[in-house]
Amino acid sequence: MKPPVFDYFRPASVDEALALLAEHGADAKALAGGQSLVPAMNFRLAQPAALVDLNGLDELAGIGDGPAALRLGAMTRHCAVERSAVVAKRAPLLTETMPYVAHPQIRNRGTVGGSLAHADPAAELPAVMVASSARFLLRSRSGERWIDAERFFTGLFATALEPGELVTAVEVPALAPRTGWAFEEMSRRHGDYALVGVACLVTLDAAGRCVTARIALLSVGEGPVLAPSATAALAGVQPTPDALRAAAEAVNADIDPPSDIHASAAFRRRLATVLTRRALTRACERIATSAS
Amino acid sequence: MIVQGEYTFPGTREAIWELLLDPAVIARTMPGTEEMVRVAPDRYEGRMRVGVGAITAAEFTVSVQLADVVPPERYTMQIDGRGRFGFTRGTAQVRLAADGAGTVMRFEADLQVGGKIAAVGQRLLDSVSKLMTRQGLESLSKEVNRRLASADPGSRSPNPGPLP
Repeated sequence: MKPPVFDYFRPASVDEALALLAEHGADAKALAGGQSLVPAMNFRLAQPAALVDLNGLDELAGIGDGPAALRLGAMTRHCAVERSAVVAKRAPLLTETMPYVAHPQIRNRGTVGGSLAHADPAAELPAVMVASSARFLLRSRSGERWIDAERFFTGLFATALEPGELVTAVEVPALAPRTGWAFEEMSRRHGDYALVGVACLVTLDAAGRCVTARIALLSVGEGPVLAPSATAALAGVQPTPDALRAAAEAVNADIDPPSDIHASAAFRRRLATVLTRRALTRACERIATSAS
Repeated sequence: MIVQGEYTFPGTREAIWELLLDPAVIARTMPGTEEMVRVAPDRYEGRMRVGVGAITAAEFTVSVQLADVVPPERYTMQIDGRGRFGFTRGTAQVRLAADGAGTVMRFEADLQVGGKIAAVGQRLLDSVSKLMTRQGLESLSKEVNRRLASADPGSRSPNPGPLP
């Protein structure tokens, strides 16, 4: 349980980190919270020749409240997000989700940017970011660019990050009026990898009809999976129990869940349906509560 | 672990059969294959490198023994792969059926995966095998289309060879 030999760099600025990543290319890995990378190194499954430690970069950490969006630095720890009053006010879906991210010890070290860049198909944050229509700021030595969460995740542990590029910040847009949210997840034990999880945001108009519904699932595909069929089933309808049940059933067209020793693909489909219905129901209840 | 599916290729069963058993085509289309040699009419040996995400690509030496070969209809592969991170072994059956101008390939593999990869990555095996199957079929399909295009004397070539 010891990693093979590697070079360790602790840059003092983001620019220096980007220069190091550019210099060492594919042999280098950026070290954020290290809650996935370091265990993989200790198992010797990951064998980077160099680690570029981002933990000294205070400029990458922090939570900022803007008029149109909440901004999270990539090195913001999960525990800081979980306890933030600003996040609770501006992105309550994120606050509701954080307790499901692994265990408190892991949340003390794990970071927002690290979880997103790792792109584990069972991770909660990628799905929440996709459901929230968040966008990520990517920086490299040659410049920076914004990318929508939906386009960032490209496959199994795969992202749109180019070699030498870092996720440096995340922007979560403010919720539209009459928007409800909910996160639901099932795992064998709390903190285990999710068997299935669902994040949703639902916006109703003044007459109570569904304007938009963003539903993203985890552990049912190669990465976070949007559910356009479920969204289409809700478009323009009153969120009655029957309508929500039909939308939840429609999720089946959008997912291709894996089988493993913990759950068969068929069981995951069943869970996805049930959890989506619960999440949509709670999201709509929240709109009703806040409107009354 | 069961990996199964079907895929429709353009082209005759004979053409698809030839492609599927061509070691150079296998090396080009099977994800992660670095080398594949037909050491005997019914036996292949090679090297593959398989990795996902932060997991450093693991090298496997692979051997495939053919059995129950009935051209151009079906064959069975005994697969044996070994590497520092674990092993995989099992059998895969491939069947080809004519479907109009095309060919339907049906495959079913029953693979055991063991060692460190299975212990640590169990929850990802199904997703990784699905991903590799999809990538393999896509590049095989491209290969088929490329061959069909170059074999068609009426197509792009400005100087077509002698007609049969």
